[in-house]
Amino acid sequence: MSQLFTLSFFTAFLAAAVRLAVPLIYAGLGETIAEKAGVINIGMEGVMLDGAFFSFAGAWYSGSLAVGLLCGIAGGVLMSVLHGVICIVLAQDQTVSGLAINMFALGLTSFLFKLMSQGQSYQQVETFETYAIPGLSKIPLIGAAFFEKDILCYLLYILLILFTIFYKRTDLGLSHIAVGEAPHAAESAGIPVHLFQWTALLVNGVLGGIGGAYLVLVQLGVFTENMISGRGYIALAAVILGRHMPLGMFAAALLFGLANALQIRLQTIGVSVSPYLLAILPYAMTLLAMLGAAGRSSRPESLGKPYVRGSR
Amino acid sequence: MEEILRMEHITKRFGEFYANRDINLSVLKGEVHTLLGENGAGKSTLMNILFGLYQPSGGQIFLHGKPVAIDSPATAVKLGIGMVHQHFMLVEAMTVFENIILGDRNTKGIFIDRNARRKEILELSERYNLDVELDKPITEIAVGAQQRVEILKALYRGAELLVLDEPTAALTDIEVEGLFRIMKKLVGEGKSIIFISHKMREVMQISDRITILRAGETVRTVERGETTGEELAGLMIGRELAPSHYAKVTKPGAAVVSLHDVDYQKKSKHNGLNGVTLEVGRGEILGIAGVDGNGQSQLAQLVTGVIAPEGGSVDMKGSRVATFSPNGFILENVSHIPEDRNKMGLIGNMSVMENILLKETGDPRFSDAGGWHLKRKAMRTYAEQMQQKYDIRCTSVAQESRNLSGGNQQKVILARELENHPDLLVAVHPTRGLDIGATRFVHDTMISARDAGCGVLLISADFDEILEMSDRIIVIFEGKIMGEYPGSNPPIDQISLAMAGK
Amino acid sequence: MMRTAETMQRVKDIILIAALTLLIAAVLVLACGASPAEAMQLFIQGIFRNRQSVAEIFVKACPLILTGVGCAVAFQAGFFNIGAEGQFYLGALVGTAVSLSLPLQGPVNILLALVCGFLAGGLLALIAALLKSTFNISEIIVTIMLNYIVINFLGYAVRTFLKDPEGNVPQSAKIDPASQLLPIITSTRFHAGILIAIIAALIMWFLMSRTTIGYELKAVGFNQRAAQVGGISVAKNIIRCAFLSGGLAGIAGVIEVIAIQKKLLEGISASCGYTAVLIALIAGNHPLGALIAALIYATVQVGTGSMQRQLGVPNAIVNILIGAVVLLILGRKLLHLETYGFLKRKKEAK
Repeated sequence: MSQLFTLSFFTAFLAAAVRLAVPLIYAGLGETIAEKAGVINIGMEGVMLDGAFFSFAGAWYSGSLAVGLLCGIAGGVLMSVLHGVICIVLAQDQTVSGLAINMFALGLTSFLFKLMSQGQSYQQVETFETYAIPGLSKIPLIGAAFFEKDILCYLLYILLILFTIFYKRTDLGLSHIAVGEAPHAAESAGIPVHLFQWTALLVNGVLGGIGGAYLVLVQLGVFTENMISGRGYIALAAVILGRHMPLGMFAAALLFGLANALQIRLQTIGVSVSPYLLAILPYAMTLLAMLGAAGRSSRPESLGKPYVRGSR
Repeated sequence: MEEILRMEHITKRFGEFYANRDINLSVLKGEVHTLLGENGAGKSTLMNILFGLYQPSGGQIFLHGKPVAIDSPATAVKLGIGMVHQHFMLVEAMTVFENIILGDRNTKGIFIDRNARRKEILELSERYNLDVELDKPITEIAVGAQQRVEILKALYRGAELLVLDEPTAALTDIEVEGLFRIMKKLVGEGKSIIFISHKMREVMQISDRITILRAGETVRTVERGETTGEELAGLMIGRELAPSHYAKVTKPGAAVVSLHDVDYQKKSKHNGLNGVTLEVGRGEILGIAGVDGNGQSQLAQLVTGVIAPEGGSVDMKGSRVATFSPNGFILENVSHIPEDRNKMGLIGNMSVMENILLKETGDPRFSDAGGWHLKRKAMRTYAEQMQQKYDIRCTSVAQESRNLSGGNQQKVILARELENHPDLLVAVHPTRGLDIGATRFVHDTMISARDAGCGVLLISADFDEILEMSDRIIVIFEGKIMGEYPGSNPPIDQISLAMAGK
Repeated sequence: MMRTAETMQRVKDIILIAALTLLIAAVLVLACGASPAEAMQLFIQGIFRNRQSVAEIFVKACPLILTGVGCAVAFQAGFFNIGAEGQFYLGALVGTAVSLSLPLQGPVNILLALVCGFLAGGLLALIAALLKSTFNISEIIVTIMLNYIVINFLGYAVRTFLKDPEGNVPQSAKIDPASQLLPIITSTRFHAGILIAIIAALIMWFLMSRTTIGYELKAVGFNQRAAQVGGISVAKNIIRCAFLSGGLAGIAGVIEVIAIQKKLLEGISASCGYTAVLIALIAGNHPLGALIAALIYATVQVGTGSMQRQLGVPNAIVNILIGAVVLLILGRKLLHLETYGFLKRKKEAK
């Protein structure tokens, strides 16, 4: 057990936590933005799955990571546009739509993957390289975990900061929040509610798509059926725990990353607990965290309610 | 004077129904132009068209003589039209300042330049005497102040034409005086105002010209100086309506419900109760007068068991109430006409029959096997009887209640709540949004319930309704009782003052 | 008048959606390089090949009926139970444990296994119901997390305390033949559990449409606030529907073990818990609708099974189709020509 408490253990542990958290944070940021505009996308699982598959297919056929990433983004956007047509244009139930999208994406990606592979197994695609940031990456403990990463991870840090500023300091950010809180008030103040909701959903698709693509293009290099395995739902939980703000969501997602990393670490150092029991840890923690955050709701007032002009 | 707005031959159809038919309206610069009409006369539809929330099915809008197409509120704002809706369009989670600058796009850069904008808003607020506290959250300011925020918001966006949709409905008499001063100041500075109301006294006091709408059509436009309140009322309703006079009860029976020193969130001015003591006797109507949002909702929820008091006690028919639950109160034979028909009164996706029987399904008349198995035939027969008795207009009792008109929905609730001869009826804004015929029906039904020995607690923000119906009147302000007055020959001036907290 | 117009519109919608679904299926088959006509032929042959293949429809439908009806009841009351998958597995696990540990074999064993499976599934759903009614925590997230927890726990169980001591594979010992649900039609797999599923669907239909319990559940689902003001306890009804819904999924798990697999192992749900959600949605949350939808889905599954074997069309096509059907139902307004007429008029107004 002594190897549990060395500095290098903690460094490796933290690095693993960040690595596992990044896809969640991407999806969580996308979901935060959609929910701030009053649209809940339960279909995040499907958005990520689409992102993962199309990034793999894109990278495989083109041999280019950039093309793979773009395909992943397009795949994610495809699902969120579908969600937008049903929820914004047709004002249908957002939960039902999200659930249908998850199943649809699962079928679509499995089907296309089988067509692509014709039963044989695939080799890995190349993955994004890591660049250590000089100086920062040398900070003990957190340096290697946060600043010896790939370009997508750095992009994520920038996005988190930008969106925090967006919500706290800008006009558009204020309008965006108003859309989710009180769409009728927003519309009467001259804010085009549906335009904001559409933009938010597109960003939701882009970020969710990258979240899925990250698993393939940075971490694994391969696609497997249903590989998101609940991450989309954990991202939804992270948004609630993070009180619907980018940095809060970041912290919550990191917490899940930690739980997951701990579970993997414990397995690799041969703790005599069944890996199946350990695998329960991140899910159980999500539940406990939800319980801990109960009662302190930060959800936008009009979340999940379709906005129809002129109605009340 | 220059004409600022002309709406020509405006028609708006919803399916087969004409909400507006061939309406003409002309507003001059610097005038207060009143749109007068009953609920459902088409005023709101017309204004929603002007503000870009609806597209007209026919007709044309001219601003400053030029034809315009207003496809969204954003366009309306750009064209200099500002609207203060009856239900305020404010984001409650934000401050006054944030609400005013919300969505304003006449600024450079993407960051909020708080100081410059604050200066601009303060200038406006001084110029028009629109006194507001910029850094308070909306939830912490009074209704009158919220209205000033709305007006300021419109002016900040450069509104030349302001639409005020029933702006006095939620105000005390004193606040109304203040609003009228602001309106005079605004038109004095060259702005134009469309004022929507159905209160004759106010209309005669503030308007320059008046356009009367009835059943979706323009009746006529008149100068204020050339008409009288009586004539306007006649034009608005389209027929003579004798005012109803119900006999007042002076000696009520034994107490059905009595509250002693009841507190509920007493620090909250708008959503709390503070030391409330009152009593409703059998066979009387106790009217609770007051401006909306002074604790009326909480009072209603308390005497129907939805919430429990945090201090004090409640006695029901002489015995102390220990546990508060809606079901417990229903078993005590308390009936409830809730304030919001659609959210609290009816289950829109269920049929008229199912709604009429919502509280009765356990009754042996409608279920057997220990209240478990429903007797559908008996249910239907009963519902059809109620449909006859309460004159509920629906295609059949199997029709979903959400497809009924407001008046017929309220009749479904009456049938459910009054048919079992309740001991206490709690009626909250029972005629809100109903036309005159339906209002009369609801009032008659309540009076006959009273005469049959039911104690009625009537909570209404409609002062005329309180005066017409109540045998006793209690005024509530910021959760406190301000005074009690007799129902026959009530001292109207005193009551008005009490409603303003004086 | 109104009603007939509405019904007509509905029938038109159903025909259009069915046609579009067929079209999507044809495109997908073409994408696999197969001929849709041939695929169709194989599809129909696969279903009506012999009595075994027809019986197979019911075998496949059985867990879907139970979980689908369970979801329908929960959704009708406004409780989004996405946890049928976990409830199925917990039912299967507990049912297996009970069946294997009881000294007594035979009908009593079967009955006890079913009852315990019902309780296990019901109690699992109850966790989410309690969290929702007391802390207002989203039941969607809770039930999904519980699914993953149960599935991992099952993986643990079949490797440890429930592992067949005589084998080396992660699965339980075999259920005693006397305690299995045997086929009731000779030379097919049509077992007694299928009757249980159909009877359960009928009971739920009766409960929802003919009893005060169903009346209250529906009232809570449609308008919580009005139901509460009308004296109906919201918490009680959410707990009630969750328990019923989870219990039905639990029974489905037990039946799958004691009638089909004869032992507990991983992956036996074939994701029916997630499919059930869509089946309930397609059925408009109506129990008998869910029964029919589950049978149709199983028929398609059997048909595409033969397509997969002979043409190499992946059976993931079924998932695409069911997702597409729900999306088409939600988007049915886009199928109405008036929708576009309205848009046109709006443009002209500009």
